[in-house]
Amino acid sequence: MNAPAPVPPLPVPHVVKGTTIFGNEQDYGRFATPKLNLDSMVWPRSEPAPAADVPVAEIIDVLVQTGERLTRDPDGALAEALERSVKSNPLPRDVLERSYASLGRIFNRAMMEFQIEQELGGADLIDGWREVATTSGRPARIRAFPTRLVHIIAGNAPGVAAQSVIRGALTKCVNLFKLPSNDLYSATAILRALSAVAPGHPIARSFSAAYWRGGDAAIEGMLFRPQFFDKIVAWGGESTIRGALKYVGPGFELVAFDPKTSISMIGREAFASEETLDEVATRGAFDATVMNQQACTSSRFQFIEGTVEQVDRYCAKLQAKLGEERPTSSSTPIPLPSNIRDELDGLRAFEDDYRVFGGYEGRGLVVRSDAPVDFYPDNKIVNVVRVADLRDAVRHVSVATQTVGVYPAARRTELRDALCSAGTQRVVALGLAQPESGLPHDGFYPLHRFVRWVTDEGGNN
Amino acid sequence: MSVRRDLIESILEPGVFDRADPDIEAKQLEAAREVFAERRGQIGLLRRRAEEAGVDEIKSMRDLVPLLFAHTAYKSYPQSFIDQGRWDRMLQWMQTLSVDRTDNVNVDGVRGVDDWIDRLREGGHIVLATSGSSGKCSFLNHTRGDSAMKRRHASVAVGWPFVRGAKDRACFFLGPSEGPNSAIEASQNNAANFGRPGDVHFLTDEPLLISEVSRAAALRTRMADGTATPGEIEAFENEAREKAARMDAALDAMTESILARRHEPIYLTGMWAQHMMIIKRARKLGIPDGDFSPKCVVSAGGGVKGVSLPPDYKEQVAKFYGDVIRPTAYGMTEMAQMMPRCQCMRYHRPPGLIWLLLDASGERLLGPEDGPNGVVEGRFGFLDLIYEGRWGGLITGDKVTIDFAATCPCGRPGPTILDNITRFAQAGDDHIGCAGTIDSYIRSSLTE
Repeated sequence: MNAPAPVPPLPVPHVVKGTTIFGNEQDYGRFATPKLNLDSMVWPRSEPAPAADVPVAEIIDVLVQTGERLTRDPDGALAEALERSVKSNPLPRDVLERSYASLGRIFNRAMMEFQIEQELGGADLIDGWREVATTSGRPARIRAFPTRLVHIIAGNAPGVAAQSVIRGALTKCVNLFKLPSNDLYSATAILRALSAVAPGHPIARSFSAAYWRGGDAAIEGMLFRPQFFDKIVAWGGESTIRGALKYVGPGFELVAFDPKTSISMIGREAFASEETLDEVATRGAFDATVMNQQACTSSRFQFIEGTVEQVDRYCAKLQAKLGEERPTSSSTPIPLPSNIRDELDGLRAFEDDYRVFGGYEGRGLVVRSDAPVDFYPDNKIVNVVRVADLRDAVRHVSVATQTVGVYPAARRTELRDALCSAGTQRVVALGLAQPESGLPHDGFYPLHRFVRWVTDEGGNN
Repeated sequence: MSVRRDLIESILEPGVFDRADPDIEAKQLEAAREVFAERRGQIGLLRRRAEEAGVDEIKSMRDLVPLLFAHTAYKSYPQSFIDQGRWDRMLQWMQTLSVDRTDNVNVDGVRGVDDWIDRLREGGHIVLATSGSSGKCSFLNHTRGDSAMKRRHASVAVGWPFVRGAKDRACFFLGPSEGPNSAIEASQNNAANFGRPGDVHFLTDEPLLISEVSRAAALRTRMADGTATPGEIEAFENEAREKAARMDAALDAMTESILARRHEPIYLTGMWAQHMMIIKRARKLGIPDGDFSPKCVVSAGGGVKGVSLPPDYKEQVAKFYGDVIRPTAYGMTEMAQMMPRCQCMRYHRPPGLIWLLLDASGERLLGPEDGPNGVVEGRFGFLDLIYEGRWGGLITGDKVTIDFAATCPCGRPGPTILDNITRFAQAGDDHIGCAGTIDSYIRSSLTE
């Protein structure tokens, strides 16, 4: 037996206020980063946020150019980030390639203008003071004021970094990104492109990105203070949110993109014809495999009305489609986690109640049952749960249920109020689980939460 | 007699841990071959794993790697079967992990999970249950014979190399005397091996009920789906508090007799927080540190989650009992043959326990060549050759360091496990994703 040759740690650059920092002083084993200089990670409160007075139209211009540069990648910086991501990100190469290839398109002018309009109520509110008519007649003006944000971003999709840059820039906030170990490169690659198209621009100087071990009290205990930041924007899992909660208090607020699970609801109309069933299975598979089922919008439980025989036909079709290649999903098999294999082996003792479609080779697997399974379906596993009526499935919905995809689309109206009452934040036609910018996310408007809403009251005499 | 039997029986040979057996590796391989050949026809899950991995026969230790079960295999039943009282289905599940037929168990009129476990035991299926942090219980079957062998193993391994049970001590176990749980089973074994008949004391004869664990899990499920009322949660929490108060009162009473008999060679086992309560009482009575007979056997352990203890609690407990005998072993519910620790703080291997050191992912078998000077870190797996009732192969989440050297610094034969056992962190500790559930947030309000 040969011990594997030692692999040198991957270099992870940092970005400090628009300047890329290289170095490998801090060795984390698999990768190494420059030494963290805490002083350089904060923006002094004695000075306004660098981009506070830059018109948002100019910021959008810079972002559009950033997107164009990401698409062209003239110096190969994005290609290099991609290659390193392939080595460090759990997503398969083809999904990363397609995600990186589409990064530039996220910086879309119309989309950003729509976001400002929808989430803030207009560019004038972020660029200056808007007069409002109060009921008492008191003259008053309001403004969406930039804040100081530290982002604990998620690494399960490179688009999260892109969206975070856009949101931080459109609100003119100062932004420190804590990089996740599952995506060490996307945020810095985007910020490097931003600095390349607008060197020294106030918006470039509004961003830093660095890796430190999540929960490192020596760093987080120093930085996560109201003296330095107003809000912590935390994505994802338990340890992140728990870590963030330790520091939250007056003057230091939590904006949480909580961990979420998404589901589907499929009516008996799916069995109208073989073509319809095919179409429904295609949509069901599409929603289940968003970012190889690593996204919060990816469907994991699919509740369905039908006989055992009908539902089994759906399961077989769905299973076959889970392994197909799509823009955000790969045909590369994903190894089945051993705990899920154990669960499935246990269920195999009850083949009448729990039927498993597909093998353990990681090309997608479906479990059909009459009650949701105890484990969390992941890595292209869908639990198809038979119900007599889709309304019966509402009891499995909680505040952790983000997206519910419904077929046929028309049945959304009969279900949506009950779903939202149970906690759901998003009801879509089956097949539309991929998120859309400018609409609420996890039950709130991110831009609206990022800014501080300030007022200026009284007349001039 | 088979090689496997020989290895298991050799635990009774005087100085079993002191003498090197140059053929041990070959014998263990032969024993693994034997037990696999027998079990693959008996245990459904083992057969499935073997077929998937294409393993027909154990030709090398590597062949065992894909056949190791994770602890999750023993909790792979649907929770709804317990919630809905479908005990026949639970038996059917248990069968896939058991050698003996479980259809000899009558489940008519079973009122709950404790009842079900009792019925299994009546049928010769000695089930141990564990409660994981998820609230879902594992159920591990073994035979009465396995139980007896476990007790026999403990009679040699517990206390080694300092003391051996001679049924001549007053014993104090700061836990329940009955219950289908491995800690209680260990207390019962130690009571039998060390205890003077009539002088064995348990904190309570209120048996540990698995249904209480399951009830907590069921309540959590109902909290998650929003059907539990605040009043129900309050009632549940009050009940837990009352029980804790009853146990504290029992401990107070037992503390008096422990302290009164501290100059005798007593046997005492408790959790850290319980030892801290004993210390508190001793301070009030003016009992100084180190005032116990050096022949006392004292062990401390258990989780300290949710218990507020001073940061130096381990030092305080060590100082208080002073120069007593503190035997330590490495083992787990799934293992029959625990590994005792020597004076050089290393864990020694019983002849009937096969060690399988694996890489972090649990896929590759590691050997002495995988680390400097034959000292190798990896994930611990094992095949316990004792079990007649189930498959003894398990992969753990423990990160251990094995020194493959032929001799331990204590002079006895190796290999040995170093005293630096930790857990492998959950995959991707610092991996952040937006997908997940909030169950743990709901859970925390009940467990913290």
